[in-house]
Amino acid sequence: MDYLVAVLLPQLLHGLVFGAALGLLALGLTVIFGLLGVMNFAHGELYMMGAYAGIVVIGVTGSFWLALVAAPVIVGVLGAITEAATLRPLYRREPLYGLILTFGLALVFREGVRQIWGGDMRRILPPFTGSTPLLGMTYPDYRLFLLGASSVLLLAIWLFFTKTRAGIIVRAAVQDAEMLDGLGVNVPRVFTLTFAGSAALASLAGLLLAPVFTVYPQMGVEMILLAFIVVILGGMGSMGGSVVAAFVIGLAQSLFSLWMNPQRVAIAIFGIMIVVLIVRPRGFFGREGVLE
Amino acid sequence: MSRVFGWRSAVAFAALAALPWLPGVPKYYLLLAFDALLFGAIAMSLDLLIGYTGLVSFGHAAFYGLGAYATAILLERGILSLWACLGFAIVVVGLYAAVVSYFATARRGIYFALLTLIFAEVVFTFFRYTQTFGGSDGIQGLPDALVFPGVAIDTPARKYYLVWVYLLLAYAVCRVLVTSHFGRVLVAIRENEDRARFLGYNVQKYKMLACMISALLTGLGGAIYPIRAAFATPDLMLWTESGEFIISVMIGGLGTLVGPIIGGVFFTLLRDKVSSYVDWYFIVIGVVLVVIVLFLPKGLLGLRRALGFGRWRATA
Repeated sequence: MDYLVAVLLPQLLHGLVFGAALGLLALGLTVIFGLLGVMNFAHGELYMMGAYAGIVVIGVTGSFWLALVAAPVIVGVLGAITEAATLRPLYRREPLYGLILTFGLALVFREGVRQIWGGDMRRILPPFTGSTPLLGMTYPDYRLFLLGASSVLLLAIWLFFTKTRAGIIVRAAVQDAEMLDGLGVNVPRVFTLTFAGSAALASLAGLLLAPVFTVYPQMGVEMILLAFIVVILGGMGSMGGSVVAAFVIGLAQSLFSLWMNPQRVAIAIFGIMIVVLIVRPRGFFGREGVLE
Repeated sequence: MSRVFGWRSAVAFAALAALPWLPGVPKYYLLLAFDALLFGAIAMSLDLLIGYTGLVSFGHAAFYGLGAYATAILLERGILSLWACLGFAIVVVGLYAAVVSYFATARRGIYFALLTLIFAEVVFTFFRYTQTFGGSDGIQGLPDALVFPGVAIDTPARKYYLVWVYLLLAYAVCRVLVTSHFGRVLVAIRENEDRARFLGYNVQKYKMLACMISALLTGLGGAIYPIRAAFATPDLMLWTESGEFIISVMIGGLGTLVGPIIGGVFFTLLRDKVSSYVDWYFIVIGVVLVVIVLFLPKGLLGLRRALGFGRWRATA
């Protein structure tokens, strides 16, 4: 019982917190993949730049909450410009080119940030400290806020895609962009705005997680691999699948680290993915024929 | 033979062989040339997969790194024969490549790319955290390998000729393959996998074979790297290294074999030159990559055509 409350329960909560944030990252990735057929290698850098944009805004205004609003706007605009300038000319080409292009963009972003802010680790202090008694243990308030905020965001995204006209247009574009174009929708604009939205989500995840982790230029490289795994596990192009897989990976990561040293955890996660792909080649919710 | 080896390739290889004889070539440049040709050869092996079969492997760094570790482990234990190192590398890389290609070639497109990437990350993580193999430091301070008892590969010129021979053999293998029936089937798979299957070809067998050959060539390239550098580190297997191989293929021109060699050489020289002037050379490399994808989708070889030269030989 002590083991349960003192060890297992906090670790489960850690897993949920991490899973929710990972879900934000993976959702953007999967939507972009569905729309453009491009696995966005620069997604991890957008995540990283969210944290750095946060550092800048906090430095100027001193308010974490303002940063939480400003960082997604800054990175979203950057994402929109990037999409319009570099990805738009590639729509009619093979997805391979988009993959290579985003790899190049990732190099530029990562090195650019390292040049401006240096390569050393930074911290963002949580906007509030303290902890709450919960089920017989105490849990940091900020992590609870993180879990709540991510869950609300995930819910809002789900409502956006199911209840609003804009969300339905994006889903239609995933299904058949050409048909949508024929129906008179400005498809390139949909692509650009969606890319901006996905960049904003990634930057939010980066800033929300920053007080829990550390901020450094390479931070996106490690997350992006996990996010890729989440997207594959969930099934390419399946948004619900991405969220489910994000929680699975988040929980697996934190539970495994109870029993294994952290390095073996990475191998175990890769192992999960390889096994799932062999047993269920299209992931949890993947449909046949989606971009194969 | 002439179908495989045109006079232009013969001249190019002869010129490369003459490089150490040029008066006043500093040792440093011979070693740089080693790196450039090695990178070019590996990009060419990868081109077999990307350019001809249409499979983008994001895990070639693992083949490369495994080959390097195979050599490093033997050299560290005092087994200095070059042939033993190469043989061991073939066995190790071959076993790993068999597993990867079996599972990865069952899938297409992005799945193939990501499966190879994840498999490679497993290998990277294993070597990065296994202290027997030096952990993150890798295996350092290796002795020179011996071609025959008593003949060590110790001078830069000898090391350079080692990579020259490797490039020559790898090029011959790739050229023979892509001009053969086997190569045509690979192109057919790239163009339309389903149709190739309907025509009665065992598509997965062909894809697996292409993957194995590409992996083994890359592994051999990895196996000669520690002979030049005297170390092997897990960073050789990092997925960004795989990305750099792909970049080289793209810079040179997909599906041309010669293009990726030029791309690999160009990339290595660019990295070396730019990094000696500024420390933000990754920005330069990233921008070069973006520019090439946007404006030169056929790579540097595509320039020839744009400038009015005749087409490089038929791309099979």
